[in-house]
Amino acid sequence: MKLDAKIFAIITGLAVFIGLPLLFYTFGDAPRRSYLKEAISIATLVAFSLMLGQFFLARSNAALLRLFKPRDIQTVHKTIAYSAIALLTVHPFLVVLPRYFEAGIKPWDAFVTMLTTFDSLGVVLGLIAWVLMIVLGLTAFLRMRLIKRYHMPYRTWRYAHGALTIAFVTTAIWHSIELGRHTSAPMATLFITMALVGGGLLARLYWAARPVHTPIPQGAE
Amino acid sequence: MTQQQETLNPTRREFIALGGGAVGLASMGLNAAWAANQVELDPNAITNTDRQTDVLVIGGGMAGLFAAVKAHDAGASTMIVSKGRLGSSGLTPFAKGFFVYDAANEVLSMDEFAAVVSRSALGTSNPVYTRQLAEHSKARAQELREWGFFDQTLAHRSFMVPIKERDIPLIERVVITHLIKEDGKIAGAAGFRLDAEETVTFRAKTVILCTGSGGFKPNGFPVCDLTHDGTIMAYQIGAKVTGKEWNDGHSGKSLNPAACYDGWGDMFDRVPGTNGVEVHHDLGVENNYQAYMLGNPVAGGPGGVSGATSAAGGPTTPVEFQRSGGPEGGPPGGDGTGGAPSAPPSGGEAGGAPGGPPGGGGGSAIMSSPAMGGASAGMAIHKSEGLVPIDDRCASNIPGLYAAGDALGSYMAGGIYTQIGSSLAGSAVQGAIAGVAAAEFAAATSWPVIPEAKLAEVIDEILAPLKREAGYGPAWVTQTLQGIMIPNFVLYIKKGTMMHAALAYIEELRDHHAPMLRAANMHELRLVFETRNMILSAEMKLRASLIRTESRCSHYRLDYPEIDDVNWLAWINIYKGTDGTMQLEKQPFDTWPA
Amino acid sequence: MTIKSINGCIGCGECVQACPCDVIRMDPVSGKAVITYPADCQICHLCRMYSPVDAIEMSPEKSIPVIVSWG
Repeated sequence: MKLDAKIFAIITGLAVFIGLPLLFYTFGDAPRRSYLKEAISIATLVAFSLMLGQFFLARSNAALLRLFKPRDIQTVHKTIAYSAIALLTVHPFLVVLPRYFEAGIKPWDAFVTMLTTFDSLGVVLGLIAWVLMIVLGLTAFLRMRLIKRYHMPYRTWRYAHGALTIAFVTTAIWHSIELGRHTSAPMATLFITMALVGGGLLARLYWAARPVHTPIPQGAE
Repeated sequence: MTQQQETLNPTRREFIALGGGAVGLASMGLNAAWAANQVELDPNAITNTDRQTDVLVIGGGMAGLFAAVKAHDAGASTMIVSKGRLGSSGLTPFAKGFFVYDAANEVLSMDEFAAVVSRSALGTSNPVYTRQLAEHSKARAQELREWGFFDQTLAHRSFMVPIKERDIPLIERVVITHLIKEDGKIAGAAGFRLDAEETVTFRAKTVILCTGSGGFKPNGFPVCDLTHDGTIMAYQIGAKVTGKEWNDGHSGKSLNPAACYDGWGDMFDRVPGTNGVEVHHDLGVENNYQAYMLGNPVAGGPGGVSGATSAAGGPTTPVEFQRSGGPEGGPPGGDGTGGAPSAPPSGGEAGGAPGGPPGGGGGSAIMSSPAMGGASAGMAIHKSEGLVPIDDRCASNIPGLYAAGDALGSYMAGGIYTQIGSSLAGSAVQGAIAGVAAAEFAAATSWPVIPEAKLAEVIDEILAPLKREAGYGPAWVTQTLQGIMIPNFVLYIKKGTMMHAALAYIEELRDHHAPMLRAANMHELRLVFETRNMILSAEMKLRASLIRTESRCSHYRLDYPEIDDVNWLAWINIYKGTDGTMQLEKQPFDTWPA
Repeated sequence: MTIKSINGCIGCGECVQACPCDVIRMDPVSGKAVITYPADCQICHLCRMYSPVDAIEMSPEKSIPVIVSWG
């Protein structure tokens, strides 16, 4: 029974965080391009969707904690997150990479033009999201050293990690809605829903775990 | 997010009745012709910007680039104004072959080269300009190489290198509509911005027209932004114009004939390259003749007329320059504007490999479809039409007014396309020559004074179509013009009677439609002036073709099929008479204007 | 339909500049490129080739009937 629940949880996760974006990609109205370009698009979409999925591979997801060992969840969380961050790190380069194989503007020229279009809200949001994501990845990777160096309680690090995640997800989704060729209305709804539910779970966890100060009863003075 | 534009075009329905040829005129969507002007801006709120420069270069292609660079380097204050973007308008973006005469590699001397070109061109070439091309091509190619032109498909960034280095003012997306002449010499120019409600006036000691040539916005050739603007503006102030009887015979593809990119194989995708001496007798009207005599389709794919059944007669190709495969093999590719979509280049050589067999080399459905005619309709052979040069330094008969590249009727290649890659190289060479000449002229002349009343009059003329309460739509008039001029039996396989008939239509457009064109915004205002220019160019083409009672190079008369060396060892110059009418004169080959 | 669609536009304006025929304009509100005068598209693909993010989708069909010499 527990095994079936585990399999069910895994299948559900895959269906929601890989299946749904692929479905919306398939039925989106963006025109199909070369295999390379489509492969890059799909990889980017799935990577981002899996990043959103990290909300659910955390201790905020009580249901999952009942099925799997926290250590296993953390391993999966780390593996998927580092992989997705790796891919999204090169996302700006992947946008211009196909130009290397076809006539037109040179990839580097395209890259410079793209990243210097500062009057585009989508580009600025993308740059911010990219930096936040790098910080997110680096702080996660170096968390033990950071905790030691700054004598940080583990809880503080978790709050910082959560806050950074919320900031990244917000700017990244906004960026994808502004610019993403595959961010159709269903895709955007999916991303926002994932973020809201995931963020909600996180908020609930932190709200429940908030330091409680006993209020001074009224009229006690 | 995806933005899809599916039904933006209001004219689609209105033009569906349009058939080919003047006979289709009656059935055209007449409702689109005359309408109230739903003007989208306040024409009375349009402001003017006034600028001053020694040398004003009009046009942002290969000729304009070198004209500006060399005029600047010769010490003149220089400015470029272009209807589009530097290196991304006109024909420059699509020309991939650049002719370089390198004495170390060539068997022919420069004079011998000019003589070969002259033989292929049946005397129509100007050997002074042909030799000049050979002499300067290597130096220009070297400069382009330094700027990175031969490293990438697109020209804009490499063109910007010398312009940025020199800090030459570059004003893009400005449509110049008027040249201004004062005291018998050039004094400036005027036009308007596409992106702002603003007219622009220039006071200049000299003007170099690098405005290219033009067509009738035909389908299948990327020439729709070239409408002989420079030629017509110069004609209006008294410049002499030549070469209007010649025709560029590029054909396209009958499947999706407007898709010039798809119809040219990988031409548009190539990185420019250089090539040496290779003289042919190309891009004339042989295929047009075959289509006229035998019906369509011609060559270029399944169902095409095979070489075995080609019609006798037609345009004469000198024996020395006949290709073994005959015209069905197609003219050479590889040259960009000298390429041939009817026979896609089989080789990857940027310089221009001979055309492959019909339908060969192209994998797409479009590439293997039969040929269609009139891809470049309205355009003459490169460098054979434009302002009449009065010397070997690109000067026109109006002091201070120069032209270079396809805007100059230099006859560098003659009335037929001779040297592969010469269109691009010739523009570079002539631009540089004109730039230096203009700078010298500017140094020796005083500032022109343009009376304010004159400027106000010009601005009023520019803005008039925006102020019209109703009028003819420029797109409709252009379509009408195309219907009159583009048919094979009018433009290419010429007959006196048919040309007189077409001329009657064109005169009607000139007198009745051109003055009543309407514009609702700056985009349409551009179309208005382009349409007017095309109408006058059509008149020039018909009058020059009527007067030339022989067949030579790319000019073919069914009623005068022979070469007439007794009467026609001469170019035809066109100018505006004192009464405003179009005048024509002969200028013997190998002479300068009297 | 010439220029068919613009997807993933970042509003850099390269295609507007690159178009020889003034087909594309920037929407002042959205800050993105809009196919404004499709009838004037000559299907030369310069906008597509200049777009840094490959935003332009082309079609070989013209939006208005074409006039050819013979075909």
